[in-house]
Amino acid sequence: MIRLWFAGLIVGLVALVVPTAEAAEGVPLQDIVDATPSGGVVTLDAAVYTGPVTIDKPVTLRGVEGTVIDGEGIGNVIEVNASGVTIEGVVIRNSGDRLDKEHAGVSADDADGLRVVDNVFEDVLFGMFIRSSRDVAVVGNVIGSKDLFVARRGDGIRLWQSSGALIEGNEIGDGRDTVFWFTDDITVRDNSISNGRYGLHFMYSDNAVVEGNLITDNSVGAFLMYSTNLTVRRNTVVDSRGPSGYGLGLKDMDGVEVSGNRFEGNRIGLYLDNSPSRVDMNHTVLNNVFAFNDTGVMFRPSVKRNSFSENAFIDNTEHVSIDGGGQIDENVWTIAGIGNHWSDYAGYDADDDGVGDLPYRLDDLFSDLTDRHPELRFLLGTPAARAIDMAGEAFPNLRPEPKLIDTAPLVSTPDFPEAPSARGEPSRLTVLAASAILLLVAGAIVAAARPRGIGRVA
Amino acid sequence: MSEVDTGVEEQVGGEGVEFRLIRVIVVKVLQESLRDRWFWLYTIGFAALAASLTLVAIPDSSVVLSGGFGRTGAALVALVQLVVVLMAISLGARVLPSERESGSLAFVLSQPIGRTEVLLGTFVGLGGALLAALAAGFGVAGVLSTLRDASVSASVLIRLTGLSWLLSLCAVAIGLVIGVSQRKVGAATSTALFVWFVLVFLGDLGIMGSVLASRLPVESLFLAAVLNPVEAFRVAAIVALDGSLDALGPAGTYAVDTYGDRVGLIGVGVLVAWVVAPLTLAWLVFRRGADL
Repeated sequence: MIRLWFAGLIVGLVALVVPTAEAAEGVPLQDIVDATPSGGVVTLDAAVYTGPVTIDKPVTLRGVEGTVIDGEGIGNVIEVNASGVTIEGVVIRNSGDRLDKEHAGVSADDADGLRVVDNVFEDVLFGMFIRSSRDVAVVGNVIGSKDLFVARRGDGIRLWQSSGALIEGNEIGDGRDTVFWFTDDITVRDNSISNGRYGLHFMYSDNAVVEGNLITDNSVGAFLMYSTNLTVRRNTVVDSRGPSGYGLGLKDMDGVEVSGNRFEGNRIGLYLDNSPSRVDMNHTVLNNVFAFNDTGVMFRPSVKRNSFSENAFIDNTEHVSIDGGGQIDENVWTIAGIGNHWSDYAGYDADDDGVGDLPYRLDDLFSDLTDRHPELRFLLGTPAARAIDMAGEAFPNLRPEPKLIDTAPLVSTPDFPEAPSARGEPSRLTVLAASAILLLVAGAIVAAARPRGIGRVA
Repeated sequence: MSEVDTGVEEQVGGEGVEFRLIRVIVVKVLQESLRDRWFWLYTIGFAALAASLTLVAIPDSSVVLSGGFGRTGAALVALVQLVVVLMAISLGARVLPSERESGSLAFVLSQPIGRTEVLLGTFVGLGGALLAALAAGFGVAGVLSTLRDASVSASVLIRLTGLSWLLSLCAVAIGLVIGVSQRKVGAATSTALFVWFVLVFLGDLGIMGSVLASRLPVESLFLAAVLNPVEAFRVAAIVALDGSLDALGPAGTYAVDTYGDRVGLIGVGVLVAWVVAPLTLAWLVFRRGADL
């Protein structure tokens, strides 16, 4: 009786949007929500509210700094079963950990127009699992997960048949995937996604824009499968080092534009498997940076109709390879007289038009050997491997068929659009200091070799 | 001459190694190295190559945002494998035979200095000279890298210098084994060149041949490769350059899966073993005193 009276008092205060003077520790949020009229705004104090809570009418939950909704480890922290709900500015924590029950911080069904904005998700299995909800906005959230083995974690964001969504400015870390199933017409923009399994994963989701995201240290950066009409631009995908390790993987994709992205330090920068799959479709890979990857672009043997122009292939261990050998000669490396920049291009540009006068041919003998005997990759870059390449250049009969010929290689890197940066630049001051130390060491040794030592002995 | 040898044995056996005397030899070897035109040729060549590689090949950080280990890093590692090993092994191999030919070794040993002091002093002196050469080379490369917006870091610079020096100590120790077992400079230099060729080229080519001919298992491939100090250096250097060995195919993945973060330490351990073992061998041969 006393408990009900107290809850009623709190509800009355909240409904009047009058801030409470005392922290409402352990207040059941469900009572507050139940007491809020449809279309109402619940302004929560800097206090810990207990869940789980089910929202089945259009209300706004708005927190202040220090507002926490604690699921107490039971199921979903917040369940939404209504359109027009907004959850804003709260810490959502402590969901259940049953993967088979898909326990989430926010679990939504048929919640058109749901807005999840500026929240922090802590110790939740899934961050958000949103089903059958149109025009959802997930903006500015910080989404963590539970401290579990990666395959046991839930997804930071999972959308299922929830078209028209905006996923923007979120910071998603230490989860499993950020995944979209049967979800069309979405925008995924300016998010930071790290330390997960699939940074981004599209399944049967058409007409999406993926731009300006920073995707680092995931098993796979972005894997797009069985979808059409996707624009992937200005993203930075770094250090995807799982067993597959694709920066961007395209499988059975059609109508993809890949432009202005940076793929750096991944096992494979761009992986192409049966993309495009339709014979009337061509893909353009334009103005991207592929740097420091084990392989810049890897093709499955049957891949055709991809055109590459104005990309920079810099210091990849292997710029282009064919998974399992074969030919990729139905892909194009020059568009309208503009090819790509290759960091190991050894030609010249006598007429100074920015385009090399000799074609770039990828036909080194040692790479051909490693394609057929991958275990030999261990010796990549050794003087012995270089000697084999030189032998291939000296004796054309040893040289393999070229994997690709770029007839208009760019002698310098083209301009690239800005993309999110993964790491700070090394400080010139510390490099100078380290260099000075080295030079001082050298100087000290030379100084120590003055003749006085011998004189003393004699 | 036998009196001199007897005196040395007595001193070594009776009083142990005298560090004061080692220092004398160290200074002498350092001075001679710094007067050696080959030493300067190697030093300047190495510094010029390292600097030009840094200037020309490291990509601009306005294009490449993250930095990492790529072909440029691999080229820098290969440069050390080629030049530093050649420099150190030939210096180590030539120093004792040349002193023998000029008679200065006999003179030095006629003084109250033991053979252990001479050998250790020679090793440390050559190590110091090589440290000076490497520090100067990498130092110049580091300064030049700051002239452009290049993505090299201070810790990489220091680690690569340290590992290169460790590799050079291995090569000096191997060179000293050649030096104590050859009487003539010409023979010692040719032997050193052959050993360099084996370490840098033939060893790897042999592994490649074994892979092609007999499908060498990846664990054997890794083991066979990393037992070579030049390859052990490469393994440690790739780790030090923020690279991942799993970029090196199945054998690299095997190494990472099996040894994890210790794989760099394995490289360093092999290098240390390649310093200690040849130096011990050289000492065992040299202390017999049958070379004068």
